[in-house]
Amino acid sequence: MKLNRRIFTFATTAALTLCTSMSFAGEALDRVMAAGVLNVATDANWAPQSFINDNNEMDGFDIDVAREIAKRLSVEVEFITPSWDIITAGKWNGRWDLSVGSMTPTKSRAEVLAFPGVYYYTPASIAVHKDSPFEEVSDLNGKAIGAGTATTFELYLQHDLQIDAEGVPAFEYQLTAENKSYKDSTAAMDDLRLGDGVRLNGMVGSLPAILSAIEANYPLRVLGDPVFYEPLALAIDRGDAEFNDKLAGILADMKADGTLTALSVKWYGIDFSSTGG
Amino acid sequence: MLFADTVVPDPAVHKPKVMAIMLAASFVIFSLMGLNDTVLGEFMRPAIGEPTESGLFGNLAIGLVISMLFTGNIVLIGFLPFRIQVLVVWLELLLLFLAFFYSFGLDFAFIRSKVWFMISQGVFTTLYISAISITLASIVAIFGAVAKLSSNGFAYAIASFYTSFFRGLPLLMQVYLIYLGLPQLGYVIDAVPAGILALTLCYGAYMTEIFRAGIQSINKGQWEASRSMGFKFGLTMRRIILPQAMPLIIPPTGNQFIAMLKDSSLVSVIGVWELMFLARTLGNKDFKHMEMLITAALIYWCLTMCLEVIQSRIERHYRTISH
Amino acid sequence: MSKPIIQMIGVNKWYGTFKALTSVNFTVNKGDKIVVCGPSGSGKSTMIRTLNWLEAHQEGKIIVNGIEMHKKMKNVDEVRMDVGMVFQHFNLFPHMTVLQNLMAGPMWVRGIKEDEARSTAMKFLERVRIPEQAKKFPGQLSGGQQQRVAIARSLCMKPKVMLFDEPTSALDPEMVSEVLDTMIELAKDGMTMVCVTHEMGFAKAVADRVIFMDEGSIIEESDPVNFFDNPQNPRTQNFLSQILQH
Repeated sequence: MKLNRRIFTFATTAALTLCTSMSFAGEALDRVMAAGVLNVATDANWAPQSFINDNNEMDGFDIDVAREIAKRLSVEVEFITPSWDIITAGKWNGRWDLSVGSMTPTKSRAEVLAFPGVYYYTPASIAVHKDSPFEEVSDLNGKAIGAGTATTFELYLQHDLQIDAEGVPAFEYQLTAENKSYKDSTAAMDDLRLGDGVRLNGMVGSLPAILSAIEANYPLRVLGDPVFYEPLALAIDRGDAEFNDKLAGILADMKADGTLTALSVKWYGIDFSSTGG
Repeated sequence: MLFADTVVPDPAVHKPKVMAIMLAASFVIFSLMGLNDTVLGEFMRPAIGEPTESGLFGNLAIGLVISMLFTGNIVLIGFLPFRIQVLVVWLELLLLFLAFFYSFGLDFAFIRSKVWFMISQGVFTTLYISAISITLASIVAIFGAVAKLSSNGFAYAIASFYTSFFRGLPLLMQVYLIYLGLPQLGYVIDAVPAGILALTLCYGAYMTEIFRAGIQSINKGQWEASRSMGFKFGLTMRRIILPQAMPLIIPPTGNQFIAMLKDSSLVSVIGVWELMFLARTLGNKDFKHMEMLITAALIYWCLTMCLEVIQSRIERHYRTISH
Repeated sequence: MSKPIIQMIGVNKWYGTFKALTSVNFTVNKGDKIVVCGPSGSGKSTMIRTLNWLEAHQEGKIIVNGIEMHKKMKNVDEVRMDVGMVFQHFNLFPHMTVLQNLMAGPMWVRGIKEDEARSTAMKFLERVRIPEQAKKFPGQLSGGQQQRVAIARSLCMKPKVMLFDEPTSALDPEMVSEVLDTMIELAKDGMTMVCVTHEMGFAKAVADRVIFMDEGSIIEESDPVNFFDNPQNPRTQNFLSQILQH
């Protein structure tokens, strides 16, 4: 598959000036069905949701969900890995059809993207260095806190997080801290592991990601209870209601028949698929 | 090499004053570094006892030993002939660097499991993107240079605007502008062609200046001789001027290629699986970024060194035929 | 008497505000051998370079082969093909062999086939007595040999007139005569020639007319016997006394 991808990119390159694919607003479903391929945008840097595994292929919870959706659409799946800010910027122009990238459906994102449905909820927590003196979230007021740029975690730190989805418990901003932006959560954890206060005093990230970092011997600990629960949704470009409904239907089926629960347990050991509880 | 005089003074490092200053300075620096709790302290255990409890005495003792080794090393290297000197200093610096990397406690089994994929996917992609881009950039540069040298105000204006714009913007911004901006005009460009286009335009702008200088360096007499025989502009350019300008153009173009090899890492932001992209992502699941970053760094370095060797061969080749 | 090959009528030329040529009138007929001399900066090189319009003139008329040279002309290359030029610094193409230098013009602009161009080139190389250097690059030849190649290169274009712009000034003294011998032979074969040179022996041997220029003007024009033995203008006398006193 990797080789095919390479040959494909090579061919595209050779036809540099010729390779036009015009905008297909509202035609996403037709395009997917006609091509028989669902192009899914995802982050390659987001274990355990999506990452490159030991066989150098895309793997993870998001990847499994995307594969399942493609299977139920009876099409092949291809993964594309642009940087996160390019995905969230919208206006995909048919470069890819769907994002299964643990995206929180915020109000501002809803202006450029459509969200066919939430497929799981993760708790967002605060991590600090294991040798740090902090005991409660409020101890971190005025400290340097890291988060991935353009993430909900950063929006939380900036007190600008508006989640537009059902079934999410209300939350309040528990701290006012100095926000430091990182390329992704892992980069923030890399700085935090250098020691408390070396570059960061803490970071906000998804609890599963923090836990897997701790498992990989990062000297971190989780501080207090989750600060908010974030619903994580499929995202598509705006303008194709039919595609939206089709995906929503598939998602409902996957919830109902326990597929999502099974995948969540497979990757997290916990069922994150139903409620934010 | 600078044009050396025939009189050869003693090497500076063999003057007693310089030696004394070196010894004193390195003694102060190494002592202040407080190396008691490092492997060096362990090494000095017979002399200073328990390293962590040896305090100031330990620091000074370690500082003295290291500074003597350091100074002695430099003085000894000073006796060697030029080539050996270069070799020894290279090896010592290389060892220091590798020791620095080694001190991170890297997981070499993990590196071994990933390095082939980094080469087969990452290096391959990096190389072919750079090779296509440098070829296209050279073509752009020829036209840019001719336009910049022309007396046609329109051509000059376009060419100078082009070089000014694309030299004035960060390459990363050009990558974004092309990848995200072109679709606004109704042309959806894929990631790899967008990256190649950005590299081509950016390097084409720099290389326009290289080509311009190359063309300008050709003696006016060559133009006059061609003209006096009735050669038209295109013929003169193609058969007389450019073939003579090439020896001046190719060496700096090789340099540009080496620079481009590294700048091509910027296209990783639009999801092209080249070397830098893999360096950032492969270690992600197992939290082994340092392993992948260092591996990629060494691969980049090796590639660059290979290209530098090829580059110097090309330079030598052109030097010998032009004289 | 046939139509003149070159006519300059009242030609004026400026470099910016500096006046390089002043009212130059001058005619070259078929078969003429004309030597132009004068002190440095007198405009003689400028004059010869306006003949095939490597330099532009601003006033007056230059007519070559019946075609007037001017800024908007379309057929300048046709004129230049018929006007051979030999430069002070040879201006051979250093990246091409001697043979390629000679074949380039005929093949690229005259559309001559390669075989024919090669045999013509070899013929002229033999005429300038260096056929054995055909495969070498210009950089491997001596100055005198390079200049003879340059002459042969011009001859390969079958020009109607040859212009020589100080062809021996850049040569080491021992090589001057081999180039002059070639030029004398050429003159004897009936080639129409305009030569800017200080070689007075050459002028005496072949010139029909000698032109003396100073400060952008033609001061004196006469046959060589009169020119050398009985110069009229004091500036000519002064010039001749300086270059002939050794």
